[in-house]
Amino acid sequence: MSEQKKELSDKAKEVAERIGSLRDFLEFLEENGQCITWTDETLPEPDIRNVAVAAGRDAMNGPAVIFNNIAGYPGKKLVLGVHGSFTNLALLLGHPKGTTIKELFYDIISRWGADKPLLDFIEPEKAPVNENRLTDNFNLYDLLPLYRINEYDGGFYIGKANVVSRDPRDPDNFGKQNVGIYRIQVQAPGEFTLLSVPAHDMGRHIMAAEQDNVPLKISVMLGNHPAMCMFAATPVGYDESEFAYASQMMGSPLRLTKSGNGMDILADSEMIIEAELMNGVRSFEGPFGEFPGSYSGVRKIPRFKVTAISHRNDPIFENIYIGKGWTEHDTLIGLNTSAPIYAQLTKDFPEVQAVNALYQHGLTAIISVKNRFAGFAKSVAMRALGTPHGTMYLKNLIMVDDDVDPFDLNQVMWALSTRTRADDTIVVPNMPMIPIDPAAEVAGKGHRLIIDATSFMPPDKLGSDSKIVTAPAGPEIDEIAKIIQLLQHGEQS
Amino acid sequence: MNSCPRCQAAEDKIRVEHKGLNAKGELVWTIFHCEECSFTWRDSEPAISIDYNKREDFFRVYPEKPYPVIMPPAQYK
Repeated sequence: MSEQKKELSDKAKEVAERIGSLRDFLEFLEENGQCITWTDETLPEPDIRNVAVAAGRDAMNGPAVIFNNIAGYPGKKLVLGVHGSFTNLALLLGHPKGTTIKELFYDIISRWGADKPLLDFIEPEKAPVNENRLTDNFNLYDLLPLYRINEYDGGFYIGKANVVSRDPRDPDNFGKQNVGIYRIQVQAPGEFTLLSVPAHDMGRHIMAAEQDNVPLKISVMLGNHPAMCMFAATPVGYDESEFAYASQMMGSPLRLTKSGNGMDILADSEMIIEAELMNGVRSFEGPFGEFPGSYSGVRKIPRFKVTAISHRNDPIFENIYIGKGWTEHDTLIGLNTSAPIYAQLTKDFPEVQAVNALYQHGLTAIISVKNRFAGFAKSVAMRALGTPHGTMYLKNLIMVDDDVDPFDLNQVMWALSTRTRADDTIVVPNMPMIPIDPAAEVAGKGHRLIIDATSFMPPDKLGSDSKIVTAPAGPEIDEIAKIIQLLQHGEQS
Repeated sequence: MNSCPRCQAAEDKIRVEHKGLNAKGELVWTIFHCEECSFTWRDSEPAISIDYNKREDFFRVYPEKPYPVIMPPAQYK
């Protein structure tokens, strides 16, 4: 996608330079009416989840919510929904309120890459995250306002940590150092389990350390620069750095420093938990309400021991509500799931216009494509199933024409209503599938559904009333729509 | 008597993890952890999460039964 790179707008540069941390972003959101503080006394359960779900109902414009009055946690702060709406993402990228999801998609595409990282390294003693340092008597239950996210979760989860680990067989390789979001269940005041599987970069690191019987050290970053979270959840290449992607998307340097156990970490995060894998130990973990909106069951998984904790003064605990959609998880990873699929498809098929894989990490996706010849969209759909993400996630694919905005579901439904024939659907049976699809008959396998909702072209037969109205469309109409919004709501940003 | 709300392990398997106090230093709630099934709970939670009889049967855990092991360490031997 590098050929599409364009210069960032002045506003985007200004915002990127201003936002160096979660705190900066919360302040910026607040100024723009996108961050509120919940000051009523809040019980850890069920109040936090209730407020989070209510705030998350508006996927377009919902605010981040800061809790500062949690019963039993005086003085502690929790924030949810930082990435909970597309408007919050728009503000991060220097756009005004009212920016459409399609505009955000194309902007992220144009910023995509890791070839020009912007990373500043600062001395650990100058890093805000090291304002306080603990080396013994760890108590995560005391340091963080922990709570049960969903009512049948097996414990208290840290759901939005960005975990840094190094390849134990190539520890000096910056690119192979991984930053990922893995669910963490606190198992004791100074111990936690972390769920990763062999397919994850982190899973590879765990297996290598246990096979070679060497220590695996990790740094768990909490309360991070908002761009970091977006890329920690993005499957980039094994030897590509998530730090590089995040900084390149922002177009402004990220400040890194070294953790006490040798990882590169963000200097301005709220807290770093340094930990070490307890080789060979597996503990009960789960259930946990996962992104398809279902609980993933109880398993025995790797366990880690805390070795040190650094944190800023009055650290803010950033967490996520995840469960039956729509949730912050969908907004956090949706566009970053769509962008790589688009990049991979357009290499072979430049006719692909946009990919909307926002729904539950791509379990349902909509692809708009300009048909080159009859049936072409079906071939593109097959190619999408063969992309790295498609292999496990793309379950339901809806193909629409290039005159349909795949991010506008009213338009997608129009295409389904007017351009789909029942025999224009394909079921590909017994394909690989993520194990936590609640519709699966057998975990790990499932059927794929392709619905071709593109228009017909010869040699397809056409009905007699098939001529489509040419409605005014394009940038000029988009602009008028925005003017109408402004006339209705006034200047909002 | 404080048994595990999920697996009914007896009191001697239950660990007190942390006590939450208010600004005046008064006890607000206590967090417990079951060493048998790794369930963690707070005594101020709604009954559906912490009352064995009100929890759905589906979510019961039987620690003696085999559960899937992620990246089983035995595979390296």
